[in-house]
Amino acid sequence: MLIAPDLILLAGLLLAMSILATVITPRLGVPLLLIFLIIGMLAGVDGPGGIPFSDYGLANLAGTVGLAVILFDGGLRTSAINFRTALWPSISLATVGVLLTAGITGAFAAWLLKLTWAEGLLIGAIVGSTDAAAVFALLGTRSMALNTRVSSTLETESGTNDPMAVFLTLAVIGYLSAPNDYTLVDSLIFLVQQMGIGSLMGLAGGVSLASALNRLDLNDSLYPLMALAGGLLIFGLTDRLGGSGFLAVYLAGLWVGNHRVHALPNIRRFHDGVAWLAQIGMFVLLGLLATPTELATVAVPGLLIALVLMLVARPVAVTLGLLPFRFPWREKVFVSWVGLRGSVPIVLATFPLIAGIDNAELFFNIAFIIVLVSLVVQGWTMAPAAQFLGLYVPNQSARTHRVDIDLPGARDHEIVSYRLPRHSALAGQTIREIELPDTIRIVAITRGNKLLSTRDWGRLREADSVALLCDRAELDALDKIFEASAKPLKKEEQRFFGEFGLRPDAPMDQLALIYGVSLSPHAARLTVAEFLDSSLPNPVIGDRLRFGDMELVIRELKDDTIGAVGLRLPKARAPAPPRP
Amino acid sequence: MTISDILGADRVASGVTFTSKKKALEELSNLLALGQPSLSAHDVLSSLTAREKLGSTGLGRGVAIPHGRLAGVNQSIGAIMRLKHPLDYDAHDSTRVDLMFGLIVPQTATEEHLKHLAAIAEMFSDEAFCARLRSADDSAQLHALVAQYTPAH
Repeated sequence: MLIAPDLILLAGLLLAMSILATVITPRLGVPLLLIFLIIGMLAGVDGPGGIPFSDYGLANLAGTVGLAVILFDGGLRTSAINFRTALWPSISLATVGVLLTAGITGAFAAWLLKLTWAEGLLIGAIVGSTDAAAVFALLGTRSMALNTRVSSTLETESGTNDPMAVFLTLAVIGYLSAPNDYTLVDSLIFLVQQMGIGSLMGLAGGVSLASALNRLDLNDSLYPLMALAGGLLIFGLTDRLGGSGFLAVYLAGLWVGNHRVHALPNIRRFHDGVAWLAQIGMFVLLGLLATPTELATVAVPGLLIALVLMLVARPVAVTLGLLPFRFPWREKVFVSWVGLRGSVPIVLATFPLIAGIDNAELFFNIAFIIVLVSLVVQGWTMAPAAQFLGLYVPNQSARTHRVDIDLPGARDHEIVSYRLPRHSALAGQTIREIELPDTIRIVAITRGNKLLSTRDWGRLREADSVALLCDRAELDALDKIFEASAKPLKKEEQRFFGEFGLRPDAPMDQLALIYGVSLSPHAARLTVAEFLDSSLPNPVIGDRLRFGDMELVIRELKDDTIGAVGLRLPKARAPAPPRP
Repeated sequence: MTISDILGADRVASGVTFTSKKKALEELSNLLALGQPSLSAHDVLSSLTAREKLGSTGLGRGVAIPHGRLAGVNQSIGAIMRLKHPLDYDAHDSTRVDLMFGLIVPQTATEEHLKHLAAIAEMFSDEAFCARLRSADDSAQLHALVAQYTPAH
């Protein structure tokens, strides 16, 4: 039995190792989660650590709390605009998609392992949901970004599909524990109840939490903790009432993250840290829980089921799930491939163990192998796959660095500090020339770590920090001002977004006349933006539409309307060399 | 057809100054119509402005390629201007423009139009080349640089 100081030493050691691993792994392109799992397995019973750990109840508790926190943080960070773009495709993937994935994978597992259909389905359900944390950790590090339709679909899907997998797993366990009493009607009622109460409680919880945070007068450090407490409360209450706590915390996070809430930047930062801690703790613990020597015995069937999951079940689920949404085929291929499995399957795999179902150990080990295979194979190949399918969009706006400081006692005002990026359009201008809204006060300008006196402000330079006191409602406008960039386009961006510019309100018929392209009579009556809208139902930046031998490319979107369009020329053949 | 066939040595101007995009396009039209009896500078200008009205032909990084199709032209005609003071051109990257290449192609030459445009855009995407154009001594050297251009790769 380990005593407290040893446990603390061990926890500190594992945590520090995991955090250090985050520095090294981005260069290897390996999903971090895999590293955390491996650290856990190394510390575990078959590794050099040799720690025997098989407390499934504790692992289940840690996993559930971890997941709840991660989903809450995911909700806080998802912007409502992305959520709206991806809402219906994600819901389709999270419901029909999970069912199909679980069904196909389950049927194959049942056949391969000679299990009953219900046991097979249990395996399918356990590995039914995806984990986007792994995806975004890998994609976030590059100078290129995924097109937002793909990224927000993957993100929202992974936030919303866990409840379905949890539900399926619990329903099948319910059936397996009492096969004679459990009917399909029971499970349908269970589903409706889980989703219905989960959604209602999530929204109600989000509204109450937001208003509580805005009304309560707390010590500054307590706002993030209050938010965390709110999240846990919402999870627990929803679960007590028979709803899906996972769905509820995600929706509550989404609500709070997209409304004006006091101390929101602090809350976000804090939850980012907590979510990291949850990821690390959960994965290291799950790694500890596994017994690699036992895993090895089911490695081959596990690998085969993983292959069926990745190559058959997921593609079928994505193809059918996205059928109504007119996704370009490249994007469907990518979404199919990036069905990364993460922590959820391993956490779900502890449920049968706790419920004492026959073969529970087998289910756990198989699920574990599937997660490992998925993290290694899909995690490693994801970035090249996105490159190959041409789904990267050059990152446009160099995000300015903004720091927010809440003013004690002032609800609607805060101090923000911007650091002028390289190539900032504001460099070379005086404060007077930047037309700031009247209500905004400049608090300080620092240049090279020196606080400047008002007389020395002069013209702004790159890397200056400008601190302003402003009304919270004006933050968006301020962001725009400070984001403005005079950065010359890179060659590849110039090519990607089209060589020439087009105004969204330019008439198509005139454009066709200038380039000698023939148009349908219908298209000839439209503007460029209308033409794009009529063919691309949910446009995202980087979407293209054929126009004669050229392409129209969406350069900018403001909310949902097309802001700027590029005209992309066909590729030039090498110009003839000069004659001697 | 090569770039030196499109760009005659007399249709080059360097070190010119304009107060507006409109004035610059006027001068570019005059250059394009130079030595083409069948072509009026006025028609060229309206063709170029018609295109600019639909959106800027600024490529980014200080280059613009105003272009148009016109009846009464037998073959593609190009002209280049290097401005002394960069001009606001509503380019995508909001960089002011100091290199302008004008291109006029025959009404019938749809495909040729695109080919030439793409080749010229490709040429002006070559940053080292643009730097050489910007440091050229005079119009003659400017012309020589463009006429002898071979892609870097």
